Amino acid sequence: MPELRKDPILGRWVIIATERAKRPKDFKRDIVNLPEGDCPFCRGNEHETSAELFSIRDDKGDWRVRVIPSRKPFLKSDDKLWKKGKGPYDLMAAFGSHETVIETPEHIANMADLEVAQIKDVLRVYCIRAGEIEKDLRIKYVLLFKNYGYDAGAGPIKHSRSQIIAAPVNLKRVKEELEGAKSYYNYHQRCVFCDICSQELSQKERIVLDEEGFLALVPFAPRFPFEIWIMPKKHSPYFCGINDGEMYGLAKVMKKILTKLKVLLNDPAYNYVIHTAPFKRQYPGYWSTIDDDFHWHIEITPRLTRVAGFEWGSGFYICPVLPEEAAKFLREI
Amino acid sequence: MPELRKDPIVGRWVVVNVENPYLPQDFNLTPFKWQGNQGCPFCYGNEHLTPAEIEVISPIPRTPNSSGWKVRVVPNKFPALRIEGDLNKHASGIYDVSNGVGAHEVIIDNPDHYKDMPDLDDLEVEYILKTYRSRSLDLRKDKRFKYLLIFKNVGLEAGASLEHCHSQLIALPMVPKNVAEEVKGAQHYYEYRERCIFCDMLSYEQENRGERVVLETQHFISFCPLSSRFSFEVWIMPKDHSVDYAETGDAILWDLSKIFKDTLTRLKKVLGQHPYNYIIHTSPVNTDVPFSYHWHIEIMPKLTSVAGFEWGSGFYVVQTPPETAAKLLREC
Repeated sequence: MPELRKDPILGRWVIIATERAKRPKDFKRDIVNLPEGDCPFCRGNEHETSAELFSIRDDKGDWRVRVIPSRKPFLKSDDKLWKKGKGPYDLMAAFGSHETVIETPEHIANMADLEVAQIKDVLRVYCIRAGEIEKDLRIKYVLLFKNYGYDAGAGPIKHSRSQIIAAPVNLKRVKEELEGAKSYYNYHQRCVFCDICSQELSQKERIVLDEEGFLALVPFAPRFPFEIWIMPKKHSPYFCGINDGEMYGLAKVMKKILTKLKVLLNDPAYNYVIHTAPFKRQYPGYWSTIDDDFHWHIEITPRLTRVAGFEWGSGFYICPVLPEEAAKFLREI
Repeated sequence: MPELRKDPIVGRWVVVNVENPYLPQDFNLTPFKWQGNQGCPFCYGNEHLTPAEIEVISPIPRTPNSSGWKVRVVPNKFPALRIEGDLNKHASGIYDVSNGVGAHEVIIDNPDHYKDMPDLDDLEVEYILKTYRSRSLDLRKDKRFKYLLIFKNVGLEAGASLEHCHSQLIALPMVPKNVAEEVKGAQHYYEYRERCIFCDMLSYEQENRGERVVLETQHFISFCPLSSRFSFEVWIMPKDHSVDYAETGDAILWDLSKIFKDTLTRLKKVLGQHPYNYIIHTSPVNTDVPFSYHWHIEIMPKLTSVAGFEWGSGFYVVQTPPETAAKLLREC
């Protein structure tokens, strides 16, 4: 019998389609090999990109991680932040910024193949850039994410990178999560993510890793097969609040999880997004209990199935893998 | 400078590339290739390859599960939900679970393997729309169902597993999230203004020199919404306030057949053969009828792959502004 499961944060129902149950090797994918050409992100080709915004360098002055403006930005900061109404609609300047983080000078495609210390540097760059962006009071949210592979929306160049977007509005999905967490907190006076951690720790069946103070788990009601969330076990609303030691621990966990996905699913395309609390701003209606009700986490979604009209139109997802089995496969590899 | 636009119904912001609008040729679509009709379970003569039919439209007398039909409805061979059993709603710690009770039907749009709506005549399109209506009226008799979702996936990239054109109907025991949000948004707007948000959108589009309007008939309008999520997204909406698709009368359905076919034909002309989805957004069933809701069809061409950013944020980037898309569709 298929099962309907409800995400406790968003209230979104998903269908766990046990009748269509799939095992890792059932996901056949067309590997798209686009012509690559010269890689502008490699060491030595720095002149092919716009001037860098920031970099982390080693003792010899060579860069390890480099941040540049996105080559195709869809938010820009070179204009005034105008706002206006148009009939029933609201409009605003697409104000903000869009940056690319080049994660290594070597031509390596998948973050799973970077050294732990290198991944840690990437995470450090996320926090440094987010801190810089926070200073502009017009920006409400910074989204840190990665598209890996063609099916996940990355271009032809196979060089590990991620993106940083600074937006003048709170993004719908993030806002829904914030609202869901807040309403859970108002009712229970507890953080829903902390409750998820403790239930998962007692049930164990959906946990992939429990190391370094972080939990990697397959959510109870995932949208996608082999979706994984990584979150700190200790309550913590802001991603950038993590200290040096925790950052190293997180880098280790990230490497392990991404490697598991790579091995188990034959190097699939994936996305990850870091969900953190929005910047602290002093204005009316600002989330007053956010320090207690929100808990940052990373959502990793391999792209194994095509999302069809049903999912788009309804917000109802069909997941063809039982989360408990996905976790077992990931644990055992 | 690109522009941010907010959807007035659910409050979703989208980024619209108004500076360098993408034209159809900028989308790098992989050329479409037919696989062929060998062994296609939806073609004439292969009726035995599907589960037994639920309903057909057939102008000529025929024996069940044989050829001669115009539209044929069968249960999905690999249903996402199952019709038998109780919901058995229960909790698992902090989580909520229920049995996957529902119905999953396939509506085979027409017998010709190589024809989609633009290639059919108006009458054949009307058969499909009438079938949607009668399936919806039939399934709502089962009080366990709260929503009847009718949609179509065309092309591999849009999630179609078989290339022979077909629509699907999924009957759900709860109202799906996106629809619930729309219903709530419309209700909220109505409480404040005592007007329907969809009617307001419609009159705004009509008054505003019609720059986002694609087509208009006696009863319907097809337009590219100002806050579209996708390039070349088109909505078809009844001009008169109407809550439930299934309550549409014959005369109005005939009018819909024509504008629906014409809109899809224009999309095909402008974009070439391309993957797309459409979905009928209508009111929930077997629950309080949300008077402030207004049914409509959303057509979503799949021209780009949706990236992590969109998934993680619910923030969409639209490369062709709806004004440009509507102009191209109007003038083709």
